[in-house]
Amino acid sequence: MGVISLRAVSKSYPSADARLEVLRGVDLEIDAGEFVAAIGPSGSGKSTLLNLIGGLDHPDSGTIRIDGLDLGGRDDRTLAAIRNKKLGFVFQSFHLIPVLTAAENVAWPLVLKGMERRSRAARATELLERVGLAGHLHRTPGRLSGGQRQRVAIARALACRPKIILADEPTGNLDAVTAAGIMELFASLNREEGVTFVVSTHDPMVVSHAGRRLQLTEGTLRDTSRERPLHEDLPHV
Amino acid sequence: MFDLVSLSVRNIFRNRRRTIITVFSIVVGFSAMACFGGFIEFSFEGLRETTIRTRLGHLQIYADGYSQHRVSDPESVLISEPDEVMAHIAKLPGVAAVTPRLSFSGLGSTGRTTVNVSVIGVDPEGEEEFADFETLVAGRPLEPGDPEGGLIGEELRNGLGAEVGDWVTVLTTSFGGIINAVDFRVAGVVRTGSKEYDSVFVKVPIELAQRAKETAEVERIVVLLDDTDDLSALQPRIEEVLSMFDDEFETRRWDELAGFYDAVVALYTGIFTVFAGIVGVVVMFSVANTMTMAVFERTGEIGALRAIGARRSTLVAMFLIEGVGVGLLGAGLGVVASWLIAGAVQATGGIAMPPPPGMSQGFQAYFSLTGDVLRNAFAVTVAATLVSAVYPAYAASRIRIVEALQQ
Repeated sequence: MGVISLRAVSKSYPSADARLEVLRGVDLEIDAGEFVAAIGPSGSGKSTLLNLIGGLDHPDSGTIRIDGLDLGGRDDRTLAAIRNKKLGFVFQSFHLIPVLTAAENVAWPLVLKGMERRSRAARATELLERVGLAGHLHRTPGRLSGGQRQRVAIARALACRPKIILADEPTGNLDAVTAAGIMELFASLNREEGVTFVVSTHDPMVVSHAGRRLQLTEGTLRDTSRERPLHEDLPHV
Repeated sequence: MFDLVSLSVRNIFRNRRRTIITVFSIVVGFSAMACFGGFIEFSFEGLRETTIRTRLGHLQIYADGYSQHRVSDPESVLISEPDEVMAHIAKLPGVAAVTPRLSFSGLGSTGRTTVNVSVIGVDPEGEEEFADFETLVAGRPLEPGDPEGGLIGEELRNGLGAEVGDWVTVLTTSFGGIINAVDFRVAGVVRTGSKEYDSVFVKVPIELAQRAKETAEVERIVVLLDDTDDLSALQPRIEEVLSMFDDEFETRRWDELAGFYDAVVALYTGIFTVFAGIVGVVVMFSVANTMTMAVFERTGEIGALRAIGARRSTLVAMFLIEGVGVGLLGAGLGVVASWLIAGAVQATGGIAMPPPPGMSQGFQAYFSLTGDVLRNAFAVTVAATLVSAVYPAYAASRIRIVEALQQ
């Protein structure tokens, strides 16, 4: 069984006429250390897929397992602990806490985990150095550029040494050069630390870093990386 | 916990203008509550000291059985040899005066008019301390060596049509049941502060009162202390002195005798409770508005915190700490503001108040900001802010993470 396992997962939302089926009986296995891109047009269910894997939302039916743990029927406390320890999130809008410094933002998952102050400060410093922000530890997000904020968000996602990082349109608010830098960082973390990445994107450059491509169309999921070469997938991104 | 408090405190100062407006409204509410509480406290102090120093003293000593037989057989519950008892009690540190009293009701007449009077026989030597709250409006006070002089209340002077130097006859019944009359010359006219009391008030030397009641004994011994706050400590020591005598005694504290004072305290405390409730509601709405706005503005952050592993309870705690933090800040500044207001009132000579109901004199009011007054205002303010933060905190914790992250 992979580090991420979905069985017959369906999800729908209420709409004006009837329920809108976003995912229809999706099956998926992702192994540890994979770099997976979820691609598809807007509204195809990419973010929904990531939200379900991340335990941020519940499926209507089906089973989701993260590192062997079934997310179904878990209470808020357990799901929060799973998100804290096993998953890292990177969002398009960064979602940093503006009143905290870069180092404090990175350390917050460790606060929630219960790590003592000195250890988490050391870990935050180490991670910010890793993402190239050694000189910006004490700056608040308002004093950082978009790319720097996203690097802080990545460092925060890595704080608790998660096995999986879920990134929803991580380069959506960044210019091309900055986006390339972020993807280089993702690739090196994947390659050197074996972190599993699942990235939803519209960006062909992001897709080019993925070892595996999942095409979402009308609620169904198809692994296209074994069916056709990357350049044939790019028009569908 | 420290990190959560630190984050909450930083969030308080995030939108400074809104926080300043909210804190200002809390400061105004706190100051109103503290100053009103201080005014009531001042009124209680004034009424308490007037009651003690004009009429009751701090402690009254009677012969054993007085409370049971004072109406049916008053002669049997008189104190026969008060001098030695008074001498021993007067030696205790903290005792300002010890004086005997014999009181009775009767009819006072100048020949032209006859009215009801309430006569109190006192020892002029021991009365100086009690005269603090009596205002002499004509003549002079009682003096030792003037066995026929007496003081009357201002309203009684009007009722009798008597002036200083006039003779007044008091008609009463002796303890033996014989109708008796004594005369005194009006030495002075006083105002006690209470119109009702002034209309019957007669104070004469105790020897004159004893002659009227045909006795050599006294009804009670009144003890006045330097400081009302010492009563609880001194009462057991006074009772210890009393236990050394063969005769048995009973004692009553001023607050056991002052029914009017208790009624006033109950009334004003009720008024204050309603006022504090209104202020608390105003503070609650002010803080609830601020907290609700904060939740709306920070929905995305709430989603992010939940995504990185914050439990619902963590968010509830975070917003409750923010609410209480605003309350503590407002209450802290409220203490300072209240002190400044009380100081300004003190410096300008107080607030001129009209005579209270039943009283004959107005007074200058001040704000007595005692520890209790400030503690009560603090507790109401902080409790109101805590309550007002409950719903926004709960709402923040129930936001769906996915929806929050879309903000």
